[in-house]
Amino acid sequence: MKRSILGGIAFNLLAWTVVFIVAFPLVWMVITSVKPQFELFRIPPTFWPEQITFEHYTRLLFETPFLTYMRNSLVLSSATTVLVVGVATLGAHSLVRFRYRGREVLAQLVLFTYLLPSVVLLLPLYLMMVWLGVANSLFSLVIAYTSFALPYALWLLRSFMQGIPEDLESAALVDGATRMEAFFDVILPQALPGIISTCLFTFILSWNEYLYALVLVNTDAARPLTTGVMSMLVSAFNIEWSLLMAASVMMSIPLIIIFAFLQKFLTRGFGAGGVKG
Amino acid sequence: MSNPDYQVRFDKVRKAFGTAVAVRDLDLTIEGGEFVSLLGPSGCGKTTTLRMLAGLEFPTDGAISIGGRVVNEVAPGARDIAMVFQSYALYPHMTVAENIAYPLKKRGVGKAERATRVQKVAETLQLGALLSRKPRQLSGGQQQRVALGRALVRDPRVFLLDEPLSNLDAKLRSHMRAELIELHRRIRRTFVYVTHDQLEAMTMSDRIAVMHDGALQQFGTPAEVYNQPANLFVAGFIGSPAMTLLHGEARDGAFHHPAVTMPFGAPVSAGKLVLGIRPEDVTLGQGPFEACIRLVEPTGHEQIVALDLAGGASLIARAVPDMVLRAGETLRWSARPQRLHVFDATTGQRLAVTMTEAAAA
Repeated sequence: MKRSILGGIAFNLLAWTVVFIVAFPLVWMVITSVKPQFELFRIPPTFWPEQITFEHYTRLLFETPFLTYMRNSLVLSSATTVLVVGVATLGAHSLVRFRYRGREVLAQLVLFTYLLPSVVLLLPLYLMMVWLGVANSLFSLVIAYTSFALPYALWLLRSFMQGIPEDLESAALVDGATRMEAFFDVILPQALPGIISTCLFTFILSWNEYLYALVLVNTDAARPLTTGVMSMLVSAFNIEWSLLMAASVMMSIPLIIIFAFLQKFLTRGFGAGGVKG
Repeated sequence: MSNPDYQVRFDKVRKAFGTAVAVRDLDLTIEGGEFVSLLGPSGCGKTTTLRMLAGLEFPTDGAISIGGRVVNEVAPGARDIAMVFQSYALYPHMTVAENIAYPLKKRGVGKAERATRVQKVAETLQLGALLSRKPRQLSGGQQQRVALGRALVRDPRVFLLDEPLSNLDAKLRSHMRAELIELHRRIRRTFVYVTHDQLEAMTMSDRIAVMHDGALQQFGTPAEVYNQPANLFVAGFIGSPAMTLLHGEARDGAFHHPAVTMPFGAPVSAGKLVLGIRPEDVTLGQGPFEACIRLVEPTGHEQIVALDLAGGASLIARAVPDMVLRAGETLRWSARPQRLHVFDATTGQRLAVTMTEAAAA
């Protein structure tokens, strides 16, 4: 009895230590963002701010192109997600359900492109964008992100689709549905948990992407948050820590909202499988 | 009383997956309103045949027609068929009512009429209380009835059933068998029923199509298939316990086997033959032949007896429950000559050969 209580305490202690280690940078980010500039580099440092200020937030929102970057990031990530998930859902369904020559080879080739380091694709992609005349635009980033998010999305959804019994689709066809209707009425609702996790994956990937955004785009009109904030606040001589932290907090908010909203769907979706035979 | 609108015809239908042939040159005509079982071991092509009829697979060659119309190019939904799957294939995200209404919805039946027809089917199948449930909240038997309801609601020409009872427990299975027979008698539509269970095929069907290795072996009533098996495969597959098959030869007007010598009723040319004996056609205790009891299995209403014959063959017989039989004992036996089956050993085909009583050895 005594032993198990001690064990419980030890376990909790360990768990909380891990949580603390993981969460500390986030807490520090929030705290730093509301500290006045003069308090930042005080020695010894203060943990709780003596004075809370939102001046960094107002400066970011009203005196910098932060909102433009934010809009760019939102448009970019949403467009990429819609494109990737749309193509990957249909593609995965095709790879799972239809028999055609070269199907397996195709699936493996797709995975192979995923294994290539993204740096390798950077220059070819840039040159292609220039040829296509879309360089330096949000659209070029959508295409670039799609090119590296699609393979993984395809494989993720493929494994989800493989779990959906073929009989369900056959039943819908016999019941009078066309292929498309069967797909939308029966397959899509079953694949929803997979589609939602693919959405999350793609959105986060696009939201956090830095390298392609840095190389393919160099105007403020098309810069997403990652590169925008960096070029705005980090220079060779100075790092605007307060603004950087405030920007980081605001960058995290959309992801936190999306997670909070979709987590419910994710857990609910995993519980509702097909009928066991 | 067959209705030509409900007739199903396979005309030289062949189906190959790459180099593997799943169904070879199938010629089969199922009369309108008939209950036909496609029976065979797994991999015999019966499910592929059914899926081709449903439009879920395309025949490599040949023509499939329903009600006199060739349907090779017709989409599954436009064939006026309904199908019950082994897995039931209920749509998990829809309620029972939505599941049953789905085929009506896809055919543009109005909401009000959908509701009435779903209600009617639910009453027939005693599903009334379950209409707002999701499939996963139902027992296996209830799911089975919902799948049946989804097929019934549309009143199609042909019902396709793919091993619909194999996921139910034994008691429920015999209950559902009776319900299916009753249902077929009432609605008089064509039923095509795929099964590997000969009991289901024998009890429910008007006719049975026995398949093996992608080829149709025999198409006949349960009595025909049982009493006059067309070849060695059917002889061995139908009947439980299985028919005893003795490999011997025709010589000097008689069938010769180390344990059995039996004269033919009419002259037979010399050659290798197989003699088939059903367990119930063996009489133990008297007769011209001799065997040693290996194993006795009492089932309550009878005893299944395995006997060793000279030449290493084995014989299965049925005996009345009160007969005293001990393993290791040697006893005499006979078989009713008019009930025996003779096959050509090389082609496996049934021969029209009659046997007569053997003289006591």
